[in-house]
Amino acid sequence: MNAIASVRDALTRNMRQSGILIAFVAIVVLFAALNDSFLSPGNLTNLVLQYSYILILAIGMVMVIIAGQIDLSVGSVVALSGAVSAAVVIREGMPWWAGVAAALLVGLLVGIWQGFWVAYVGIPGFIVTLAGMLLFRGLTFLVLDNRSLSPFGGTYYDIANGFLNGWLGGYGYDVFTLVIFGIAVVGYAVSQWRSRQGKIAYQQSVESLPMFALKLVVVAAVVMWFGYQLSTSRGLPVVLIILAVLIIAYTLVTQKSVFGRHIYAVGGNRHAAELSGVSVRKINFWVFVNMGVLASVAGVVFSSRMNGAQPSAGEMFELDAIAACFIGGASTTGGIGRVGGAMIGGLIMAVMSNGMQLMGVPQSMQQVIKGLVLLLAVAFDIWNKKRAAVAR
Amino acid sequence: MMPPAPHRTPLLALHEVSKYFGAVEALVGVDLEVHAHEVVALVGDNGAGKSTLAQVVAGVLSTDAGQIEIDGEPVTLGSASAANRLGVASVFQDLAVCENLDVTANLFLGRELRNRVGLLHEGEMEVQTRELLERLTVRIPSVRTTLRQLSAGQRQAVAIARTLIGNPRIVVLDEPTAALSVAQTGEVLTHIQRLREMGLGVILISHNLNDVRAVADRIEVLRHGRNNGSFPATASHESILAAITGAA
Ligand SMILES: Nc1ncnc2c1ncn2[C@@H]1O[C@H](COP(=O)(O)OP(=O)(O)O)[C@@H](O)[C@H]1O
Ligand SMILES: [Mg+2]
Repeated sequence: MNAIASVRDALTRNMRQSGILIAFVAIVVLFAALNDSFLSPGNLTNLVLQYSYILILAIGMVMVIIAGQIDLSVGSVVALSGAVSAAVVIREGMPWWAGVAAALLVGLLVGIWQGFWVAYVGIPGFIVTLAGMLLFRGLTFLVLDNRSLSPFGGTYYDIANGFLNGWLGGYGYDVFTLVIFGIAVVGYAVSQWRSRQGKIAYQQSVESLPMFALKLVVVAAVVMWFGYQLSTSRGLPVVLIILAVLIIAYTLVTQKSVFGRHIYAVGGNRHAAELSGVSVRKINFWVFVNMGVLASVAGVVFSSRMNGAQPSAGEMFELDAIAACFIGGASTTGGIGRVGGAMIGGLIMAVMSNGMQLMGVPQSMQQVIKGLVLLLAVAFDIWNKKRAAVAR
Repeated sequence: MMPPAPHRTPLLALHEVSKYFGAVEALVGVDLEVHAHEVVALVGDNGAGKSTLAQVVAGVLSTDAGQIEIDGEPVTLGSASAANRLGVASVFQDLAVCENLDVTANLFLGRELRNRVGLLHEGEMEVQTRELLERLTVRIPSVRTTLRQLSAGQRQAVAIARTLIGNPRIVVLDEPTAALSVAQTGEVLTHIQRLREMGLGVILISHNLNDVRAVADRIEVLRHGRNNGSFPATASHESILAAITGAA
C-alpha cells in the first residue's frame, strides 16, 4: 500500500467524523462570539450538569442504532427507574445506594424484557419499544401514584449536583480538579502513544509523528482549558466522572471488543453475520439489556438532578438521544456509528440549546433550529455516501 | 497393462443425498466426490439444485436422506460452524460480507483473535490478512479499507479469502463470478487456482461453462436435482450443454 492511498483512505474513512468535529467547533465559536458568558466557567459547568443524562442515553442508543434497531422507550425508563428509586429512598426511607441499586435493577429487567421480544420473538425494536414507552410510563404513574416524590437530599442529591473539590486547596482555582484533568491528559497521551507503537510493530499505517504530536497538543490544550474553567467555578462535577468512565468503557466495548465488532456486523449484514457464526439473537438481546441499564443510569442522574421523581420525567429524552446519534454520524440503516460521534452529536444539541437559551431565543425557534440541524446532518450523510459510491 | 490407480479416499463424498422443500425435489439421490488438489465444477440450469447442494455441504441446510463423508468418515453438518470445524468453508451466492466493516474485520468475522486481555487483536489479524491476500494474489488498497469502497470483484476476493481463515480443506463457492465483469472474473478464477495449489478441494458452482472449463478438473452436471453426467474439463462444450439442458 502506498502512502497516498493510505492517507486518502484515512481521510474518506474519517470524513464524517472530522466533519462533525469541525461543525461542533464552529458552533462553539459562533456562540462564544455571540455571547460573552457562553464560555464562562459557570455556564460550562451548567452544560455538563444539564445534558449529562442525554449523553448517557446516547451511548446506549448509538449501539442500538448500529445494530439496526431503535429504542423509543428510554424516556419512560428514565422516569420509571427514577420513580422506583424515589419510592425506595424517599417513601421507604432506605439509604441512597439502595435507591441506585433498585433503579439499576429496573433498567436491567426492562432491558431483558425488551431484548426478549426483539431477539427471541422477532418483533422489530421499533414496535417493542413503542409499546415499552407506553408501558413504562404507565408503570411510572402507578409507582408514583400520580404524584411527584421529593426531595432526595443527601448523597443521592450529590450524584448529579455534587462536586469534588478543595481536597488539595488552591487560590481561586481548584488544584484537585486540575490534577484529575492532568492525569486524564497524560493517560490519553500514553495510551495513544502505546497504540501507535503497537500499530508500527504490526506495520499498520499511522499518522506522521508531527501530525500525531499536533493532535496530542491540541487535545491536551482543549481539555486542560476546560478543566481550568471548571476549577475556577465549582470544581469537578461528580457526574462528569461518571460520564467519562462510561464513554471510555463503551468506546472500548464498541471499537475493541468482539461483542462490539459483532454489533457492527449484525447491523451491516444480518445474514452474513449469522452465516459467519455470529449469534444475531444474542447480540440483539444484549444490546437492549445494555440500553435498559444505561437508561436507568440516566434515570438515577436525572432524578438526582431534579432532587425527586415526577410522573412526566424524561419525556422526549428518546428523541434527543436518537438525534444525538444521527447528528453524530450513525447511519439510519444500521452498521455505522460511534460512541464518540454520538457524544459530539449530543454536545452539538446541548450547546445549541444552551447557547440559544442564553441569547433568549424563544423555545419555539429553538425546536425549529434543532429539527433543521438534524435533517441537514442526515442529508449530508446521504450525500456523502452517494458521492463515495460514485467514486468507486 | 497399467496397474489400477491406488484407491484414494475423497476429502468429501456425498452418497445418495436428497433434499425436499415440501413438494419441490431440490436434490434427489445426488452423489459427489471431491479430492484434495481438485476443483470440481458443479453446473446446471437455474433451479437445478446447485445452491441447495452448496448449502447442504456448508451445513446451512439439513439433508432428508443420504450420507455425507469427510475423509471417509460419516459426518453430520448440523450448522455452518459445525461444518467449519470439520474443515468446510463456503462463499454463498449472495455476497456474504459486511460492507460496513473493513477487510480484516470481514476476514475474521465470527473467528476474531483476542489479545491477552480479551480484546480484539487487530495487529495479529492484520498481519494474517495481509499474508492471506498475498497468497491469493488479491490486490486491495489496504487491509483497513471498508468493503463499501471496494469493487464487486475485490469484495468477492475478500469473501474467498475469508474462507481460508481457520485452515479449511474444502471450499464451496456458489456462483462467485455471477456479478462480475470479465476482468474481475479472470482475477477470481486465478484466486480459485491458488486454492487448488494450496491443496484444497474446491466445489465451484457456476452456470458459465467458459469459466468452469478454464479452471475445473472435473465437471459434474445437475439437472432437476439429479446427477446428469460427469465430464473431464476437456469435454466438448456441446456435450456438457446437452447434459445441462437434457437434450442428450
Ligand atoms: N428455501 C427454499 N424453499 C423452497 N424451495 C426452495 C428453497 N431453496 C430452493 N428451492 C427450490 O429448490 C430448487 C433448487 O434451487 P437452487 O438450489 O437454488 O437452484 P440453483 O442454485 O441450481 O439455481 C428450485 O426449484 C428452488 O425453487
Ligand atoms: Mg443458485
